[in-house]
Amino acid sequence: MEGAHRPGATAKGLAWLVAIYLVLPIGIILPVSLTDQRFLSLPHESLSLRHYATVLTSPEWLGSIAQSFWIAVASTILAVVAGTLCSIGCWRISRRATDLARAMMLLPIIIPSIVYAVGLYRYFARLGLLDSVLGVVLAHGVTGIPYVIITVSTALAAFDPRLEQAARGMGASLGQTLRWVILPRIAPGIASGAIFAFIHSWDELVIVLFIASRDVFTLPRRIWDGINENLDPAMAAVAVLLILFTLLLLLLDMALRRRRDAA
Amino acid sequence: MSAAGHALALQGLSKRYGSFTAVDDVSLRIERGQFLTLLGPSGSGKTTILMCIAGFVAPTAGAVLLDNRDITALPPEKRDFGMVFQGYALFPHMSVAENVAFPLRVRRMGAAEREAKVRAALDLVQLERFADRRPSQLSGGQQQRVALARALVFDPALLLLDEPLSALDKKLRAELQDELKALHRRVGRTFVNVTHDQEEALSLSDRVAILNHGKLVQEGAPAALYEAPRTRFVADFLGKSNFLHGTVREAHPGAFAIAAGGTRLVQAVDRDAPRPALSMPVLLSLRPEKIALLAEEDTADNTVEGRIVTWSYLGAGFAISVATEDLGLLRVTLPSWGAPIAPAEGMPVRLGWSAAASVPVAEDAD
Amino acid sequence: MAAAAQRQTGWWLLILPAFLLMTAFYVAPILQVLTISFTEPQPGLQNYERLFTSESVQRVIWTTLRICTITTALALLLGYALAYRIALAEDRVRRWWILAVLVPLWISVLVRAFAWVTLLRRQGLVNQTLMETGIIAEPLQLVWNEFGIVVGMVHYMVPYAVLPMLASMREIDPRLLAAARGLGASRFTVFSRIFLPLSAPGLIAAGVLVFIFSLGFYITPAILGGGKTLMVAEWISLQILDLIRWGLGTMMATVLVVAILTTLAIFSRVVDLRRVFGSGA
Repeated sequence: MEGAHRPGATAKGLAWLVAIYLVLPIGIILPVSLTDQRFLSLPHESLSLRHYATVLTSPEWLGSIAQSFWIAVASTILAVVAGTLCSIGCWRISRRATDLARAMMLLPIIIPSIVYAVGLYRYFARLGLLDSVLGVVLAHGVTGIPYVIITVSTALAAFDPRLEQAARGMGASLGQTLRWVILPRIAPGIASGAIFAFIHSWDELVIVLFIASRDVFTLPRRIWDGINENLDPAMAAVAVLLILFTLLLLLLDMALRRRRDAA
Repeated sequence: MSAAGHALALQGLSKRYGSFTAVDDVSLRIERGQFLTLLGPSGSGKTTILMCIAGFVAPTAGAVLLDNRDITALPPEKRDFGMVFQGYALFPHMSVAENVAFPLRVRRMGAAEREAKVRAALDLVQLERFADRRPSQLSGGQQQRVALARALVFDPALLLLDEPLSALDKKLRAELQDELKALHRRVGRTFVNVTHDQEEALSLSDRVAILNHGKLVQEGAPAALYEAPRTRFVADFLGKSNFLHGTVREAHPGAFAIAAGGTRLVQAVDRDAPRPALSMPVLLSLRPEKIALLAEEDTADNTVEGRIVTWSYLGAGFAISVATEDLGLLRVTLPSWGAPIAPAEGMPVRLGWSAAASVPVAEDAD
Repeated sequence: MAAAAQRQTGWWLLILPAFLLMTAFYVAPILQVLTISFTEPQPGLQNYERLFTSESVQRVIWTTLRICTITTALALLLGYALAYRIALAEDRVRRWWILAVLVPLWISVLVRAFAWVTLLRRQGLVNQTLMETGIIAEPLQLVWNEFGIVVGMVHYMVPYAVLPMLASMREIDPRLLAAARGLGASRFTVFSRIFLPLSAPGLIAAGVLVFIFSLGFYITPAILGGGKTLMVAEWISLQILDLIRWGLGTMMATVLVVAILTTLAIFSRVVDLRRVFGSGA
C-alpha cells in the first residue's frame, strides 16, 4: 500500500523496545546454556556442550521427558476427539443450549488452574487417581479441550453449511458426512488445536504439583524443582531444548495455517 | 436413465418461526415429470418450502407426500431427492468426478458401476473432459453443470433446484436456461425449481406457483399466469403492468364498462362470468406492450390522450411514459422497428387498446 | 416435532463425550472446591468472615490487586505500542512481528521465569554487567520482590494484550487514516482522534483478559517472588499443601473464581477468547 499511514519514529522505537523485552530474555538462555562454567553465566573462555551432555545422559531428565511426552500425546488425543466432536455438534445445532455448552468448555482457560488443581487434589484422592499417569492424562486432556474447541470452531465458521446439507441431501449418513465432508475441510483447524493442546499438557505444572508426587514426575515438575533447588547451567540446556521444541511446533502450525489459507 | 418421475404433493404446509410465519398453509400438486417453479420475492417463503420438500426444515403443520406416501418425517438422506444448491455447494476438496461420485459412494455402490454412472452423468452435462479438475478451476457455468450431474447421477425421485442460475451473469443464464430445459426433457424427471427471477420462471417451467408473504397466490401455466393474473401482486411481479382504477357503470354479457375519471373504459369478460354490480370499484391490469399508439384516423375499444413524459430506447423497443388526465402515468412499450413515431418529450399522443387487452384483478389483501 | 428432534439426536451425541468429561473431571472438582469453603472446618460462613477480620487475608488480596493493576497497565501500554506497529506494518514485515509475539506466548512459563531469574538475581547477568561497567558498586535487588514479579508477569501478559488489540486494530480501515492525513491532520492527531478511539474495544478486551489472567497467576509470582511477596494463587497453595487449611484455601479460591467470572460477565460483550487463540500468523 503506497502512501498508507505508517507509525512515526516514537511508535517504532517503542515497539522495538517491547519486542526486545519479549524476545531477549528467552534468547539469552542460549549462550548461558553453552557456558564452560559450572554455574549460571555467560561463556568465559569457550563454548561447551557439556551441560547438554549432562541432561541427555541423565536418566532422570530423560525419564521425565519421555513421561511428559506420552502424557501430552494421550491427553492431546483425548482433547482433540472430544473437542472436535463437540465443536461440530455445537456448530450444527447452534442453539442457546449449545452456546452455553461451548462457553462451559472454555472454562479451563478462564478459571485459574490453581483452583482446579486444589479441587482435583481432593477429587482424585477419592477416586484413587493421585500420582497416576491416567489421572494426569485426564486432567490435561480436559483442560486441553478449550484450545481444540477454539481452533475447530474458527475453522467451522469458514465452512459452508450448505456442503453438509448437500451431503445429507444426497443420502450421506451422519458418519459419512463427518468422515468425507466435514473432517477433511476442517483438518487444519484440528491440527492447530492438537498442537496447542499438546503444548498445554507439555508445559503444564500447577495441576501436576498437586496431583502427582513420585511416580509421575513430568518435565515441568523437574524444571520447577531445579529452579527452586539448584540453579545450574543444565537447566539452561533443558530450557533451550524446550524452546526449540515449541518453536518447531509453532512453525508447523504456521505452515498448516498457510496451507489452509492457500486452499 | 429410467423415465419414471414421481408426483409430489404439499398439503396445508406451514412453517412458523416464533411469531413469524414463513410458509402459510400452502397446498400444491406437482405431477410426474413436470417442471414446477416456485416464484416469489425474497422472504416469500419459496426457499423454506423447498427446504421442507428436501427435508432440511421440518414443517410446523401439514404434510409432504411423494406418490401419496407421507414423507414429512423422513430425514433428508432417506428421501432420495437430488438437489442443486444455491451457489452449488460443490465439495472443494474433491475433484469433479469425486463430487459426482459422492451420492453413489454413500450408497456403497461398486467401483465399476460407480465409474460408469459418473461418466454417463458427466456426459449428460458435457463435462467428461473436466473430470479430474477441482471445482475452483471451473467457470460458474461449468460448476452449475457439475452440481446438476451430481444431483442426477443417483436417479433421484425428484430434482430440487434452489436458485440454480442466480450466480451467473445474464448472458450465461439465458444459455443455461435452454440447457436446463433440454435436460429436463431428456431425463424426464420431476423438477422443482425456486427462483425470484420471473423471466427464468416463465421460460423454464411447465407450471409456476407464485408466492407472497408465505402464501400461495396463484399457480398455473406460465402463459395463463401472465395473461390472466388474478391479483395486482401477480400482475405486477410477473412482468410489468399498468393499473387502472374505476367504478362499474354498465354491465353486459361478455363485457362491462367502467368510468375512470371522465374516461369510459370497456373490459371484455367471459360470457358466462358473473356480472359485476354497478358502481362497484374495479382494478384493471394492462400490459405496456398491449397499448398501441394510434394515428389520427385509427380507432380502438379504449382510447386516451396524453403527453410523453419520458422515453428510453432499449434496442428492441422503446419504453415510453405517457401522462394522461384520468388514468395517470401509463407505461407503453413499442417495438423500435417500424415504430409509428419518433418519441420526444412533451409530444402529444393518443393511446388505444382492445377491450380484451386488459384484465380485472383483485387488490391484494395486505 | 418428533422428526426434527430425532434428526438432531445424532448431533447432540457428538457433544456428549466432551460434556461428560467436562462435567465429571472439571466442573465436579471445581464445585467441590466451592462446597468445601462452606463446610470445613465447620458448616457455615466463618471462612468468609475472615475476609473482613483477618489482616493477612486482606493483605494478600490487596497485594494481588495492586500487582495485577500495575501489570495490566504496563502490559496494555507495551502491548499497544507493539500492536500499533504490527497493525500498520506491511504484510511481509508483519509476519515477523507477529512471530515475536507468538513465540513468547507459547514458550513455557517455567522457561521464561527461569530466564528472568538468570538475568535478574544477585549474581545475574544484569547485575554483573552493571557492576563490571562500574555503574553500580553493590548488586541491585531485582528479583524475589514485587519488582521481579511485575517484570515477569508483564513479560507473560504482553502477548495476551497484543492479540485482542491487534484484532481490533486490523478492522480499522487504513483508508480512514490515509484520508485524515490527506485532510491535513498530523500523525499525532490521526492517532489520538481516529486510531485510538477506533481501537478502544480491543484495548478494553485486552485489559479485561490480562487482568483476569493475572489474578490467578501462580508460577511466575511463585518463582520471581521468592516466597516473600504472596499473591492469591500461591497463598491458596500454601494453605492447602503446607498448612492443610482447606476451608481458608477453598474460600479464597471461590472468591477468585467469583471475581473472575463477574469481571468477565460485565465485559462479556467485548471479550472474545477466540480472538486470542484463533488468530495466528
